[in-house]
Amino acid sequence: MPEKPLVSPELLDRVARGDRTAFAELYRLAAPKLFPVALRIALRRDLAEEVLQESFVAVWNQAASYDPVKGSPLIWMTTIVRHRAIDQRRRRANLADATAGSDEALLALVAGESDRADRGAELAALSRCLNQLEAQPRQAVLLAYVHGYTHEELAERLATPVGTIKSWVRRSLERLKRCLDG
Amino acid sequence: MKYDDPKLREMLAGRYVLGTMPRRARARFDRLIAEDAVFCADVREWAEIFSPIDAAEMPVAPPPRVWRAIEAQLGPARAPAAAPRRAWFDSLWLWRGATGFAAAIAVALLLYFGVFATQEAPPVPTVVAVLNDAKSGAPAWIARTSRDDVVTVSALGRQTIDAGHSFQLWAIAGGAPRPLGLLSPVPGRGIAVSASAIPPTGGVLAISLEPAGGSPTGQPTGPVLFSGKVFSNPL
Repeated sequence: MPEKPLVSPELLDRVARGDRTAFAELYRLAAPKLFPVALRIALRRDLAEEVLQESFVAVWNQAASYDPVKGSPLIWMTTIVRHRAIDQRRRRANLADATAGSDEALLALVAGESDRADRGAELAALSRCLNQLEAQPRQAVLLAYVHGYTHEELAERLATPVGTIKSWVRRSLERLKRCLDG
Repeated sequence: MKYDDPKLREMLAGRYVLGTMPRRARARFDRLIAEDAVFCADVREWAEIFSPIDAAEMPVAPPPRVWRAIEAQLGPARAPAAAPRRAWFDSLWLWRGATGFAAAIAVALLLYFGVFATQEAPPVPTVVAVLNDAKSGAPAWIARTSRDDVVTVSALGRQTIDAGHSFQLWAIAGGAPRPLGLLSPVPGRGIAVSASAIPPTGGVLAISLEPAGGSPTGQPTGPVLFSGKVFSNPL
């Protein structure tokens, strides 16, 4: 993992003060990292572009509310992008089928099944803890994070009642936290 | 709800980050975050837990129209508040002028620090496709735009091949594969392909092992060693 953050809090601070040059710089640095996140959740390229656009306008407007206590600037922006992409996806639930199998490489990477050499230490730790979950709860958590599935979509995809999905997700989060804290 | 229960807060924050929280509940949670740093810290913990997944994504440059649309929505320029000239500010300007690719991996390709034009998102090479090793699944070749109408295909790391064989690139978009050229196994020695020869989005680029000089038949004769979907046709 890089020691120096890709996007510095100072840059975001300049954006918060209305510095457009800083904003263009922020876009140049962060957009290529955020666009794939929007793509894998929003599924369609045009929708992902819309998500990215809305998200950056939100970043421009909300930069003053950024606080380092919320995490690194990139993580803060990733949350903005993910939530907008998830909303976009929920508005078009009929796209959901299109995801089936679309991101196997990423899922395999996270699940620790890939031999890609660039898996960072943090990803390795997450994979280790994910692998301690049972197969279906793990799948539920991954599909939720990677593709933005709702409880209902997870229920359908995994052919399991919504109530069970909810308790899988809750228990998986608890176990993940314990594993990563431990 | 009793938000002073740390376990409950932690679970809510987890669902907020995971994305399974319904929209309205999330909006309420957004307000809690704005008011209370304790919630921020819970959210940050979860976001940091899952962020390696996003960090593992290959960067993809959005098309220039996205930046244009964003700029159009910002409204007239606000005068920046007089920013104190701190050391980092100066260094940023120096750094901004720097040009260069980092390592020969896709991540680095996309963080291309081109010459910076004020208020214009500078051109970033767009990744057209990443071709993965058929056996290991590891990214091995990258196709990216180099000029508007030219796509360069090059190895991400040095590939081994004996003198009796060549790597041949094919475009597959329904119908028979079309040959696009012989590839160099050396990273940085990409071959240029006309963008019009690249399959449309959703098509496939594949590399087969052929006798030195390329397939004698005009169709692949050896095994397909690498392939990848075109996710962004430049045309």
